[in-house]
Parts: sequence; structure tokens; C-alpha cells
Amino acid sequence: MTLLVLAAVALGTGLATIFLGEQRRALALAVGIAGSLAVLALALVMPDTDSLIVGGVGMVSTPVVRAMAVAWSASLAVLGLLEIAVGGRPTVVGPSLIGLAVAGLALATKDPASSMAALAAGGVAGVVVPGLAGWLDAPNMPSRLPTTNRGTLAILGSGLLGLGVIAWGTSAAGPLGGSGATGSLDPAAQLGLGLALLVMVAAVAIRTGLIPLHVWAARFMEGVSPLAVPAAFAWGSAAFVLVALDWSQVALGQTAASGGERWLIIFVAMTSVILGGLAAMVHDDIEHVLGYSILQDAAVAVLAFASLNPDVVAAARNWLVASATVKTALAAWASVVRTTYGGHRLDDLSGWARHSPALGVAFAGILVAAIGLPNMALFQARTDLVEGALPGIGAAIAIVIAAMPAIYLGRIAIAGLGPVSPAIAAGLSGRPRWRGGRAAGWSGGPLIQAIRAIPGELRANRAPLMALGVLALSVMALLTATGGAGG
Amino acid sequence: MNLALVAIVLAVAAGAVLAVSTRDGAASAIGLAFALLGAALLSDPLPSPAVLGVRVVAALLVATMIRSAMRSAPRQPSPVGWPSEAFLATAGAIAGLGLAVGLASAAAAGGQSVGLPGIGEPGPAGPVETGGAAVTSMALITAAGTSLLVLGAAPLVHGRPGTRRAIGLVLVTQAVLLLRIGVAGPAVELEEIAREALLVVAGATGAALASAAAGSMLGRETEDELPDPDAAVEGRSSVVAR
Repeated sequence: MTLLVLAAVALGTGLATIFLGEQRRALALAVGIAGSLAVLALALVMPDTDSLIVGGVGMVSTPVVRAMAVAWSASLAVLGLLEIAVGGRPTVVGPSLIGLAVAGLALATKDPASSMAALAAGGVAGVVVPGLAGWLDAPNMPSRLPTTNRGTLAILGSGLLGLGVIAWGTSAAGPLGGSGATGSLDPAAQLGLGLALLVMVAAVAIRTGLIPLHVWAARFMEGVSPLAVPAAFAWGSAAFVLVALDWSQVALGQTAASGGERWLIIFVAMTSVILGGLAAMVHDDIEHVLGYSILQDAAVAVLAFASLNPDVVAAARNWLVASATVKTALAAWASVVRTTYGGHRLDDLSGWARHSPALGVAFAGILVAAIGLPNMALFQARTDLVEGALPGIGAAIAIVIAAMPAIYLGRIAIAGLGPVSPAIAAGLSGRPRWRGGRAAGWSGGPLIQAIRAIPGELRANRAPLMALGVLALSVMALLTATGGAGG
Repeated sequence: MNLALVAIVLAVAAGAVLAVSTRDGAASAIGLAFALLGAALLSDPLPSPAVLGVRVVAALLVATMIRSAMRSAPRQPSPVGWPSEAFLATAGAIAGLGLAVGLASAAAAGGQSVGLPGIGEPGPAGPVETGGAAVTSMALITAAGTSLLVLGAAPLVHGRPGTRRAIGLVLVTQAVLLLRIGVAGPAVELEEIAREALLVVAGATGAALASAAAGSMLGRETEDELPDPDAAVEGRSSVVAR
């Protein structure tokens, strides 16, 4: 029941934020942040095994649903505050709340077709709202509208493809419609199971923008606020992969991934892992680093389809929730750096960490969380995922994959420790400063004067406050990377 | 074979042909409404009143949103005309029937029944014979789905941004939802709600993108900033001005 209330609150406040956003920005953001906090409170009190039947289908709020709701809503509240500071059209909180509501329901529902349809419907807002805002904000870049169009098609298309393969799988002629289902392993049944798995992986590849289907995603990330990226890609993709993975594991079983399909899935995933990591390493602009790193994370999760082993699927749950939290923190960092210093290329960002120590500390936390330490859930999940797909050599490959964020995030860290460039020096100061606490033209008592001075102090300390927000997200990323999602 | 279902399938296809081919915005919206309402009724037996209500409301909402977007968008009739679209829809429906019969044959080879029977048809307990698969209600739903799929795919994939693409998006979404029922049987109530939410979101998204595209075209024409004269001529010949 708590889950239903949570979804209703998230859906209602999300829609209100979107509809109010165009005319009344401050009110919309206030509603969005209040909604995020309410959802966080509900997620914290939600029991792990809350179950009910809705519309003839059972819904169970598992630990993964709870962990995802807590991590997503908490980071969303911080993103909302950052959105106030960053300015611009409100495109982050509303779509994210809708995505959160739908993801929670989809992960709890025991009917995969309902989950897939709901995820397709709920994921579109995360692309359309920021995409249209990005297009409206840049009238000299008409190509952003076709990019939004393609993004919409990718989100809806992946959901429809997933829905189609689930329907075909359970049809009388499908691999699961027979009396024997996964038990009878004649060549035709084996072929059907493998084909169903490959089509589901194709839907996942479209949804997550794996290489070579990543072009629209890369263009999309160039045209929107970095704060809007996690809802569209990190969290939205995570929910989609989790539903697809659950269906593949429960309905198809491990036998579906036993032949050539297994190697095809490994090839698709490893292509994106390697090329995504390399692209993040060679790109100089931080939005591309963010985008390709999210793509690489999704590709690591896709490796779970190559084995469908229950332990590996559990690792994928930990990995998806933890990596989404880490990439939310990275997106917040990218947005704050861009707002504070104006630049988004490494050449323009020399000395950023020296100029804003709090932002530097936050980035250090993100770096550690992204790489992981041997005892952390994220590190173990990555090792399990790669080892499950490639037994024997998986552990070594996992270390190579872990080294990639060390390189592409390490480059940014090194730039931050370099000499402060004129562009950074001209930006907002990352250090807190006290204006004296006296509001201009006010002669009341000390307490009232202090209250009157708060807005001015907040404005004067915008940059350090934004850095504090990133620091909070960084701590959250470290906690999730350490504890996982109870997968 | 249920004659009422056959009539509904014909109405769905006719509405979809009208929606994608006419140059009149109101007629296009009416055609889309017919297609979507017909699709809502494509079920044997009919679903519960609550589910039927959700389906009908979603269909009307989508048609309203698309019509609303048409007010500001340029008209985009089918470049090949309604007869060609009608032939395409017929071909799609026949392919759907073939698909349904093929699935029935494949299932019959495994000794199972396919889908739910139509009125007056053998019950689900009896296996379908390979050589004599009847046209069941599921086969008709599959035919309607494939018909909408072929009609909607071209404007969705190759159409210029605007209402025609929005109609294509709605038709393809509805097609997949029909195919889902056609091959796997009726949905549970929760899935019905999710399906209709997906349809409404597809309509809303299509309408929003069509309105944005109309604004973009209007802005370009106002500022006379079309970079490529050939593209401008081609664009204006395919987008009929009001």
C-alpha cells in the first residue's frame, strides 16, 4: 500500500511540476522538491515485503524497489535544489518524479507486460521535457528537435519491442507457451528461447543507447541540462534493464543463454564497455564524459543477460542502482561546474578544484565511488557481472574496466589540481563568504535582521552551496556503492 | 467467425486510412478517433465496463490531442493518396491473418489451442488442426494490428516532423498493443491501464513534437532562413499550406 501512495505522490507532484514549470518556475520547483522529500519519507518507511494485488496482478515492494526509491528520491531532492541555483527551465524534477513512480510500480509488479508498457510510457517524459526545453533555449540549433524525436522513438520503440517479445514468448507458438516451456529442450525450443533473449537484449540496447545505437543519446546530452541526464538514462535505463532481466531470468531461464546467443550478447556488451570507456577517455567535454560513462555502466549490466545466473542477476541489481547514484552525482558536478565557471572542456577547467575545494572533495568521492574498492558492493558487482559472462578471465577484465573511470575521471581531477586558469579565476568563488549579515536599508532587531539577510547571503554563497549539494550527492554515491541495493 | 468483429476491423482500417491520407485536419482526427475507438472494441467477449471505459477515454483523449496539434501545424496529406494507403492496409491485414494462421499451425504442431475462440467457435480445450485453422477473433485482432502497423510505420519513420508523424506514432503504438492481444490473449486489468497510459503518452508526445515542429517551420518561414532553396521547394510542395 505504501508503494501505491508513493507512486501517487510522485506522479501527482511530477505532473504538477511539469505543467506549472512554464509559467511559474519557483512554484513548480517548490512542488517538485516537496514531492521528492515526501517520496523519500515514504520510501524510508516502506516495508521491504509490502504486497498487495492491483488489477489482478500482485505487487511486492522488494529491497531493490526500496533502495532505488530511497536513492533516487534523495538525489532528486538535491537535484531540485541545484536546479534552483543553476537557473533555466525546470526540466529535471518533474520528469524524474514521473520516472520514479513508474519505475517503482514496474519493478514491484509481477506482470512483465504491464511493467514494460508502464516503463515505456513513464520514460518518455524524461526525454521530451528536457529535449523540447533545450530546443526552445537554442533557436539557432534546429537539429535538437529531430534529436528529441529520435529519443522519443527510442524510448517508446524499446518498450514496444519488449512488450512484443513478452507477448510472443507467452503465446501458444512462442517458446514459453508450450506445455514443457524451458524444460523441453528440443532444438526448436532452444532456438525460440535464444531468439526471445536476443530480442529483449536488442530492446535494452535501444533503450540504453548502446553502441552503435548511441548517436541520438550523444546528441541529446549535448542539448540538455546535465541535471536532466540521470533521469533519462541512468535511472530510466536501470529500471528498464531490471525489468528485462527479471523477465529473462524467470521466464526464459539460464538455458536461453547457453549457445551462440551468449557470445553475441557478450560481444554487444563488451563493444560498448570498451568503446564507451575509450570515448569517455578521449573526449574533452564533460557532458560527453558523463554520457559515455553512463553508456559503459549500462553495457556492464547487459553482461548479466549472457549468463542469467541468479547470483549475477543479483549483482546486476546492485550495480545498476549504485552506478545510477554515482552518475547522478557526476551529472550534478558537471552542471555545477558549467554554471560556476561557464566552461565545459578540460582546457577551460584548469584549477577548478583549487578554486572550489568543496567541489574538489565531492569529485574525489565520486571518483572513489565510480572505481570502487575491493570490499565495496559496486566493485564486487562489477566483478561478478564480468566473471559470470567470462569465467576464468572475468576478474582480470573487471579490473581493466574499473581502471577506465580512474583514467577518464582522473583526467578531470588532474585538470582541477593544475594552475588556476583565467577563466576559472573569473568565475564565481567556490569559497564561502560572509557579507556581514546586514540587509540593506533595514534597521530592525538582530534576529529579524539576520532573517532578512538570509536571501542575500544565499545569493552571495551560491557557488559554495551548489558545491555542498554535489558533496551530499557524492556521499550518497559512496554509501550506495558500499552497501549496494540489497540485490 | 464473428461478423461484428470483422466489421470493427474494417472500421479500424478505414479510419486509419482516412487519418493518414486526408488533407483535412478535422477528417484526419475523426479517422484517427474511429480507428482508436474501433481498436478499443476489438475484443471478444467485450471487457468489463471499467476497462472498456478506460480504453474509450484514452482513444478520445489521443484523438483530441492530435486534433489540437493540427490547429497550429501545416497539413500533411499522404504523398501516395488514399487508394494506395487502402491497398497497403489490406495487404497488412492479410499478412496479419497469415501470421495468425501460421502461429496457429505452429501451435497445433505442439498440440495446443491458439488464443481465445470467437463466438460459435470451438472452445479452447480442443486443439487446432494444422490444415484447417479457423479465423478466430484473435486472428482478426492480429489482422487489425498488422494493418495499423503498415499504415503507421511509413509516416513514423520517413515522414517529415509534424502531425503525420504523430499519427504514425499513435497508429504504431496501437498496432503493437493489438498484436500483443492477438498473439498472447487478453490482458489483465493492470496491464489494460498501463497499455492505455502508453497510448495516451504516445499521443501527447506526438502532439507536443508536432506543435514544436510547426512552430519551428513557422519561425523559419517568417525569418526566411531556409538554408537550402531546393529543400525549401521540396518541403513546401509536400507540406500543403492552409
